[in-house]
Amino acid sequence: SRELFVLTYGALVAQLCKDYEKDEDVNICLDRMGYGIGVRLIDDFLARSAVKKCRSYSETADMIAQVAFKMYLGVTASVRCTSAAGNEFSLILDKNPLVDFVEELPAERASLCYCNLLCGVIRGALEMVHLPAEVTFLQDRLKGDAVTEIGITFLRKAEDRKHKRN
Amino acid sequence: MSRQAGRGTESKKMNSELFTLTYGALVTQLCKDYENDEDVNKQLDKMGYNIGVRLIEDFLARSNVGRCHDFRETADVIAKIAFKMYLGITPSITNWSPGGDEFSLILENNPLVDFVELPDNHSSLIYSNLLCGVLRGALEMVSQGLSSSETEIRTTKVQMAVDVKFVQDTLKGDSVTEIRMKFIRRIEDNLPAGEE
Repeated sequence: SRELFVLTYGALVAQLCKDYEKDEDVNICLDRMGYGIGVRLIDDFLARSAVKKCRSYSETADMIAQVAFKMYLGVTASVRCTSAAGNEFSLILDKNPLVDFVEELPAERASLCYCNLLCGVIRGALEMVHLPAEVTFLQDRLKGDAVTEIGITFLRKAEDRKHKRN
Repeated sequence: MSRQAGRGTESKKMNSELFTLTYGALVTQLCKDYENDEDVNKQLDKMGYNIGVRLIEDFLARSNVGRCHDFRETADVIAKIAFKMYLGITPSITNWSPGGDEFSLILENNPLVDFVELPDNHSSLIYSNLLCGVLRGALEMVSQGLSSSETEIRTTKVQMAVDVKFVQDTLKGDSVTEIRMKFIRRIEDNLPAGEE
């Protein structure tokens, strides 16, 4: 079970909040750490999941939301394509175990993206499979939004695909 | 860095890679924040303690273990249930002191150090020291509710002060990782829940 991980993550965020006055700096640091984790974690993911190469951005987004999230966080996210060009996606997390012990952000940390490590992890992992992307939190329950939503924008122009995109 | 091969069946159920790497990020950050290893070790222990005092509730709720009657039972629960639950490993229990108040946990495999080599300038770092704090904090806060009737619930707080430290560490070239746990003292309070 993941409680030890969740509480250790909290200790990490708390330590960064001691180190950096501004929320934005903590967010950047979490993203950077996440990136460093993601570039290693992808090997583990590919080995464990034995997935075949994704043939579209849509498949990739599904893979992240259904397989990777399940494997490492025990939850799945739902996926929506949010651009006509087919390179922007939104992952909605109903349940986010990282915030299990977090009731709310302290008033002085209102801009903190508590789970920003995840964005970095996804970005780092994708880069290692040659899919550079921007990954950010679009909505955050901790900030009072209705859901927690992660946005992934694939940066490379979509290559010619044999299969139609969804 | 080399990857350990053949992690075995435990890896299917406990996907600890993300935890392992996040823990590494935490230790790295502390090494930036504190100049000497001893301060990092203390900070890891303190963080672990704060985690342990929360984690114990989760543990008792999930594991449904009954109250341990002696330190030997406590050792069993820690090694066979708690370590299994949170780290996916089962250390062995050895080296009991004649008085039964000290024992060792031997970890042949420590998932926290899966990707880790200690750099030369951090030879005194106790990389996994968070675990010592977790154990210490959890044992200080063990409390279980026992219902004695429908209208009254008594809460037994079994607070146990223990000393927990690493005595061997594979990261430092030892063949195993050994955590030594020593019972110091126990405080027992029987309080009706309303008095807390």
